[in-house]
Amino acid sequence: MGILDKNLSIRNRNKMLIGVWEDEDSLMAAASDLVHDGVKIHDIYTPYPVHGLDRIIGVRRSKLARIAFFCAITGFTLVTTMIWYMYVIDWPLNIGNKPVRFAPSWAPVMFEGTVLCTAFGMGFFFFWRNRLVHGIKNELLDPRQTDDYLIIAVETGEGVDNNAVLSTMKKHSPVELREFHHGVQTTI
Amino acid sequence: MIHDSIIRDRLVTGDKTAADVTRDIARPILNKPSTAWKVGFSLSLVFLGIFVTSLFYTLWTGIGVWNINKSVMWGWDITNFVFWVGIGHAGTLISAVLLLFRQKWRMSINRSAEAMTIFAVICAAMFPVFHMGRVWVGYWALPLPNGFGSLWVNFQSPLLWDVFAISTYFSVSLLFWYIGMIPDIATIRDKVKGKTEKAVYSFFSMGWTGSTRTWARYELISLILAGLSTPLVLSVHTIVSTDFATSVIPGWHTTIFPPYFVAGAIFSGFGMVATLLIVARKVMNYENYITIGHLDAMTKIIMVTGSIVGIAYLTEFFIAWYSGVEYEQYAFINRATGPYWWAYWSMMSCNLIAPQVFWFKWARTTPWFIFIMSIVVNVGMWFERFVIIVTSLHRDYLPSSWVMYAGSLTEIGLFLGTFGIFFTCFFLFAKFLPVINMSEVKSILRNRE
Repeated sequence: MGILDKNLSIRNRNKMLIGVWEDEDSLMAAASDLVHDGVKIHDIYTPYPVHGLDRIIGVRRSKLARIAFFCAITGFTLVTTMIWYMYVIDWPLNIGNKPVRFAPSWAPVMFEGTVLCTAFGMGFFFFWRNRLVHGIKNELLDPRQTDDYLIIAVETGEGVDNNAVLSTMKKHSPVELREFHHGVQTTI
Repeated sequence: MIHDSIIRDRLVTGDKTAADVTRDIARPILNKPSTAWKVGFSLSLVFLGIFVTSLFYTLWTGIGVWNINKSVMWGWDITNFVFWVGIGHAGTLISAVLLLFRQKWRMSINRSAEAMTIFAVICAAMFPVFHMGRVWVGYWALPLPNGFGSLWVNFQSPLLWDVFAISTYFSVSLLFWYIGMIPDIATIRDKVKGKTEKAVYSFFSMGWTGSTRTWARYELISLILAGLSTPLVLSVHTIVSTDFATSVIPGWHTTIFPPYFVAGAIFSGFGMVATLLIVARKVMNYENYITIGHLDAMTKIIMVTGSIVGIAYLTEFFIAWYSGVEYEQYAFINRATGPYWWAYWSMMSCNLIAPQVFWFKWARTTPWFIFIMSIVVNVGMWFERFVIIVTSLHRDYLPSSWVMYAGSLTEIGLFLGTFGIFFTCFFLFAKFLPVINMSEVKSILRNRE
């Protein structure tokens, strides 16, 4: 699996059913019912984080914490090596006869270097994995999905009963139901 | 189980919906600037002009235009540096620590606090950089190959630790601020009408769609960055305190400095956040988002940290007496009763005595009064740094080196000028970016538990 999460793009999606809500409780209930019925939800778009939604649609726990640890080890090693080379190998400075090898006075720079590498390493992977790139084309189902609309996008195709999906969505009083066909949306 | 709280007060008042939040908070960005904004911004530009003039005069004539001398080699300049760095430290701390403690009231204030951090650190950086005198070789402070004919940098020096600490702090705070702002920039992107504006907000929103997958990772990275930022903030102000504490100057050579400096930073930072937000909530009509409850919570922290700082002042006095070291004892008696007694008592009054008024509920819930007190706190914290630096240095071990010190007009101009930098940046921020974290505020509208 590549680092970039390909599921985030809607560019290659041909057919989808879209349900729009304004209330997070109804949206969560609809998502739970759809998953319970064995429907594959492509994604849910919300203007704010709705806790628990990732577990309902089966998003796996992110590996960012492990990446952070790896970046921290890398940062620590790089900074320690840098100080060791400059301060022990290349030009040891004798200041008040204080020890130059692994002195406690190295700790602040080692700590700061570790934090810097961890934060930026993790930030880089976060952007990459989430397809967050400067200048990328915006792939929105509705301009209000970053304002007040909460949207469920269900992938349709072989083996998916569109009527069953729509009736499950209707049960939870959506604001609107739409069909997405090759980038064009029509209200149902 | 999630349910609507019947005990806790709502964090956002006025029965707002998600659409209301976008409309209210994006209003200054989508509309033409108000008269209040224009007046404030113009005033900031005047102060920015004072900074540019003072800086130009310093660079053109030389650092001799400052009144620093061989005893008081750190005068207004380093006082101002520590003052701004202290304010800068609170922003990320507010955001990170309150996130780790799951304090939802932070959501209305964290964005401005983080912005304050960025701008205050920019102001702070001006002072040590230009204090170097030959600013064009400032890059010698970086660990670069020693082909310039100088040695490698000294890793035992707290001043070098400062270079690493403050640059790391600035970069990580900027990243934390930017990642937190991407969802809101996307909201603005989908609201603005102009082609150029849309292109700019699109560029910075990086194609954000609000996908559940992205939100899950966003929440995780925010948590880890908060976990990293908290010790980072503590380390940075600890390192700033070691600029003083690792010396042999009476009045500086104390182990209490790191915790005392960190508490002082939170104290002054909350003071500045209160100053900014009380004005912002009134001028920008954010009273439903930055409520009296928020001000109440902030003033409680101001009172607690002010008391911690006050105890540190008293402990310093006690330890000076208890140590039996006559130089330490003299340094502290001289602070309170010597020629700079007025600075010492201004510090004590503003930082220890004045915040005790927040024991009273009226004081914690009256915006105009909190505004005045927030300025008192910042005046006190400037005097704290002045007292530490100037009163400790103006009496050397050698009486022949004893001098008096007062800032020159240029030094005063540089200090006032940094308010120009700070407020110019803040006004631009308030015009072009959401001052309140819209996406997080939308998630607490229902007062869930």
